[in-house]
Amino acid sequence: MDELERKKNIRRTTLIFVAIALAFYVGFIMMGVVRS
Amino acid sequence: MTATTVDTNAADHDDHDHGPTKGIGRWLYSTNHKDIGTMYLIFSLTMFFIGGAMAMVIRSELAIPGLQFVHPEFFNQMTTMHALIMVFGAVMPAFVGLANWMIPLMIGAPDMALPRMNNWSFWILPIAFGILLSTLFMPGGAPAGGWTMYPPLILQTGDAFPFLIFAVHLMGLSSIMGAINVIVTIINMRAPDMTLLKMPMFVWTWLITAYLLIAVMPVLAGAVTMLLTDQFFGTSFFLAAGGGDPVMFQHIFWFFGHPEVYIMILPAFGVVSEIIPTFARKKLFGHDSMVYAASCIAFLSFIVWAHHMFTVGMPLTGQLFFMFATMLIAVPTGVKIFNWVATMWRGSMTFETPMLFSLAFVFLFTIGGFSGVMLAIQPADVQYHDTYFVVAHFHYVLVPGSVFAIMAGAYYWLPKWTGHMYNEKLGKLHFWASTIFVNLTFFPMHFLGLAGMPRRIPDYSTQFTDFNTIASIGAIGFGLSQLIFIAVLLTARKGAKATDRVWEGSHGLEWTVPSPAPWHTFTTPPKARIANESFE
Repeated sequence: MDELERKKNIRRTTLIFVAIALAFYVGFIMMGVVRS
Repeated sequence: MTATTVDTNAADHDDHDHGPTKGIGRWLYSTNHKDIGTMYLIFSLTMFFIGGAMAMVIRSELAIPGLQFVHPEFFNQMTTMHALIMVFGAVMPAFVGLANWMIPLMIGAPDMALPRMNNWSFWILPIAFGILLSTLFMPGGAPAGGWTMYPPLILQTGDAFPFLIFAVHLMGLSSIMGAINVIVTIINMRAPDMTLLKMPMFVWTWLITAYLLIAVMPVLAGAVTMLLTDQFFGTSFFLAAGGGDPVMFQHIFWFFGHPEVYIMILPAFGVVSEIIPTFARKKLFGHDSMVYAASCIAFLSFIVWAHHMFTVGMPLTGQLFFMFATMLIAVPTGVKIFNWVATMWRGSMTFETPMLFSLAFVFLFTIGGFSGVMLAIQPADVQYHDTYFVVAHFHYVLVPGSVFAIMAGAYYWLPKWTGHMYNEKLGKLHFWASTIFVNLTFFPMHFLGLAGMPRRIPDYSTQFTDFNTIASIGAIGFGLSQLIFIAVLLTARKGAKATDRVWEGSHGLEWTVPSPAPWHTFTTPPKARIANESFE
């Protein structure tokens, strides 16, 4: 894997997990909104 | 046993090895995984002593019946702050420190994948804990509603409340950034021929832990955000008067809180899985089954949260589901325990300090595991709930469990960090004093709980005196024993020069670089036969 490809993969993996974390944060607050 | 085959030039490949900058700037702006790992470990040790000092206040007050030293309100602040500091400030950062130091070395990477984010992850922590500790000096004092922050009690906190919420958000942010860094590093930066199932167990357990962190830390952040809006913005997420549900907070909190337990123990499993094979001079028994067991534990940790809430009230089917799901965790955990024992079976064992701490971990964590199975039994839990039995259980898991594993890891890798052997006599003294006093502290708490002593109280009925006095003596002894570790650290560079391999039975890439590990390692990927292969 060349350096450029590796950097692209690193960026992509990071963004995926940032999105997952944000989804859990917003999702649980939305669950609270729906429930209350 | 054959030596691991590596590209020996990888370790000191120095075509751009400029070395660290001088002064405070080295630490403030560091993007070097070893420096950041060191800062995490020092921070965690500092928090360990601050949280430990709070435990001393708690145990001094409880040494005899009656109110001796502190007001009940301050006692509650101590229990709350002790827990928050030990969980988020001591145990978690210690494992992140070990991860920072060791994961790149173990997988043959030059650094973490996101070094600048790594710097941020660390430096957020002192700010978070500075804010949290500052609440001790605010009107109304520090938070006193317990680390679980249940509403409506926690909403009665004084000026400290928004600071608590902000601090928890910052801790969560730090953990999430650290976890993303670990996952991205492991997925993208492994040495070319290191397939996933060839990764060392410490790396595996950290990968699984990082997934847990990303899933649950945002949930905690969401819960405390809702607390904040309930307090200051007129919402009623958890306020019954406004149509909200306080029990919903407990569900959300424990959806975070139970995986959190495994966040604090899975990396401990990883550390012990590195150490036992080294000192038994055998390869780890059932490496792959250990990986599957850790994954099973992580999955199950998401579906057992309501066992913390058996007394809150739930349908019978709910009680049964959470009881059986919780008991199921004993199966993969048992796989791990038996694999460690099988690794030691007929091994050429020696008992250096890291091995002693690891052996104590296996014995004493199992005690905590067994009392966990007892607590999982719903009808019995109604009796145990909120008693000292619970305090005994989770302290057995977290002190001779997580803390002993951290100590084991620190002794194991210290020669690689400093380039010198630590003082083995002091190390063994530290181990024996810690082991004796930890049992003296926490074992009597089982009896106190079974006899009905509630937790989180500053005074108690005289029938509980004897066991409380024993526990307090043990706690003071355990606290003082940790000063021996400071002595070990202070003398760590005075010992004999450490070899690259350090331990006769050690295996894996981290032992192929010089001791101390150079500032830059594996700037070109190593060509390695990895980990367990060196034992074949």
